[in-house]
Amino acid sequence: MKSLATIREGGAANWAFRIAATVVVFALVLYVPTKTGAGTIQTAIEALVLMGAAMSLNLLLGYTGQISIGHSAFLGMGAYTTGILVSRYGWSPWYTFPVAFVLSFALGVIVSFPASRIKGVYLALVTLALALVFPQVVTWKKLSWLTGGGSGLPTKDAQVADTGFNIGAASRGQMQYFEIFGWNPLGDLRKPDNKAAFWYWIAVGVVVIIYLVCRGLVKSRVGRSMVAIRDNETAAAVMGVNLVATKAFVFGISAGLCALPGCVTAIKTGGVSPEGIQSLTVRGAITFLIVMVVGGAGSLWGPIIGAAVYVYVTDITGGWASDEAIPGVLRPFFGWAKIPPSDGIFAVLLIVLMFVAPRGLVGVWRQYSPRIVRVLPRPAGTTGAAPVAIAATITNTHSEGEHE
Amino acid sequence: MPLLDVKDLKAGYGPVNVLDGMHLHVDQGEFVVMLGANGAGKTTTMRAISGLIPRHGSIVFEGHDIHKASADSIVRSGIAQVPQGRGTFPELSVEDNLLAGAYVRHGGDGVHDDMDKWFAVFPRLAERRAQRAGSLSGGEQQMLAIARALMSRPKLLLCDEPSLGLAPLITQELFAVLERLNRDEGLSVLLVEQNANLAMHIANRVYLLETGQIVASGSAEELGADDAIRKAYLGF
Ligand SMILES: Nc1ncnc2c1ncn2[C@@H]1O[C@H](COP(=O)(O)OP(=O)(O)OP(=O)(O)O)[C@@H](O)[C@H]1O
Ligand SMILES: [Mg+2]
Repeated sequence: MKSLATIREGGAANWAFRIAATVVVFALVLYVPTKTGAGTIQTAIEALVLMGAAMSLNLLLGYTGQISIGHSAFLGMGAYTTGILVSRYGWSPWYTFPVAFVLSFALGVIVSFPASRIKGVYLALVTLALALVFPQVVTWKKLSWLTGGGSGLPTKDAQVADTGFNIGAASRGQMQYFEIFGWNPLGDLRKPDNKAAFWYWIAVGVVVIIYLVCRGLVKSRVGRSMVAIRDNETAAAVMGVNLVATKAFVFGISAGLCALPGCVTAIKTGGVSPEGIQSLTVRGAITFLIVMVVGGAGSLWGPIIGAAVYVYVTDITGGWASDEAIPGVLRPFFGWAKIPPSDGIFAVLLIVLMFVAPRGLVGVWRQYSPRIVRVLPRPAGTTGAAPVAIAATITNTHSEGEHE
Repeated sequence: MPLLDVKDLKAGYGPVNVLDGMHLHVDQGEFVVMLGANGAGKTTTMRAISGLIPRHGSIVFEGHDIHKASADSIVRSGIAQVPQGRGTFPELSVEDNLLAGAYVRHGGDGVHDDMDKWFAVFPRLAERRAQRAGSLSGGEQQMLAIARALMSRPKLLLCDEPSLGLAPLITQELFAVLERLNRDEGLSVLLVEQNANLAMHIANRVYLLETGQIVASGSAEELGADDAIRKAYLGF
């Protein structure tokens, strides 16, 4: 394959690219809360929640080859754990995150045991059942003392504030400031923009944590055994990989991580119920799947890009149910259904991608970017130090593409 | 005492046993070949020894009965299998395939030294170390599968039809490597083959398998000298 230029991995040009990509990512992340308003920030939070869920699903499906159409239930575990602890027991939301992780991890491990005996379509059905049962269980009348039944649980600001969302400062009864030992970086939280920014940074934190866990895992010995299971279960077993234990572990981690964006939705939505948070119904599980596949399964950045694209398209086409809102050239194609066409657009995108790029948008990048710039791997035997850890973290797509 | 001693082995995939009371053994440093027609139960034997399928009877390896042990603990005790077909991990690089082979060693000492050693034995792999395993040719993948199994530092290598789908020249090359490992490193080998001619050439001892039963065993010369066996099983 011809390419316009050739650079060496770890060389100056490669580092320049990595640093540039890092700067772009940082700039985007900073731009949203500082230069846009509450509406855009809310949309960005949606994208971040979706990223977190799709990334955790990616560990299980993309890397380990175990399908799950039940991840909405794990997200729901997070949302309800936070909802219950905050509104019933007066906890600070901060502390609900680890609890949600642990509970969801446990549920994931339990699900993994039947799951490790079944494969493919059967596993899809079992996990689908989980997604279908979850909303039923949490809205069950007999559990309403805990889950609030059909009307769900409120997690209003006042309660959040009363229980002290501030670190190192006494709670003020009203959520006014986010203080870290006397420093309040976000200003007056009674302003909607500032409050949205507050939830936004929490969501960013969750996504960064999930990313770092995924990255650490897939680059480790366990990560190799995960891909081994995905690619060839028999060969993995004769390599000494304990299939049941590894699957249980990955199911647990994946479920636990997926709960974290659930916690975020619980506090930012101001209440927890299957109607209020669509992501914890089976629709959510399918959305995670679509986002992961469109972005690129089995790559660290796939779900991130997939979620960003998904939310962007959904946002743009959100108003396209009425003719006036549809851009002129597109009017013949949309509007007749009288519902926002984002589902349809993604359905078509999914079908097209399955044919031209089964590895999603990241796959397209990996396939075609070498035509422009080809990155030669390091000479054999030199592992090389990683000078700037953050840059490496954020821009690994490039080097990763050469090895995987 | 044999390195591996299998007695009255029964195994299968459901109610019916494919193997019904099989006996075989491999001595320390021996190169044993198992021949048999399609469906005779060769792969099933390998799977049973490796602990991939439920089994009964006694499988003693280095004095320990492993017939109830889990697949991963069997690998840890020193038995590595090269499964039938292209048993590589196509999405992992050649290097990562080898690292996956060292899975039970927990990245301990000498993993990279071993990798270099197998790269020296299989120079074709060394040239392609950063390449996806899925992009290797069939022969290269088979070499990779063998090198990967050796990365766990086994005492006994189970090799299931490594010649499957390979050109005769590549097969010869592969067998030569196995023979050398057996001779120079004292690696014990149990090799399954259909290709009687080539395999018998390097074997210390040969088993003939028919519908889950060992029907004959002996050195290559002994079996070759028996006209009935030669005509029925060896086809020459
Ligand atoms: N996974 C399975 N489930 C059910 N039956 C199986 C399975 N694998 C093999 N068998 C059956 O077990 C018998 C022995 O199969 P095995 O794979 O051991 O044969 P083999 O000697 O390795 O043959 P070949 O030379 O074709 O590889 C066959 O009759 C086959 O149909
Ligand atoms: Mg076979």
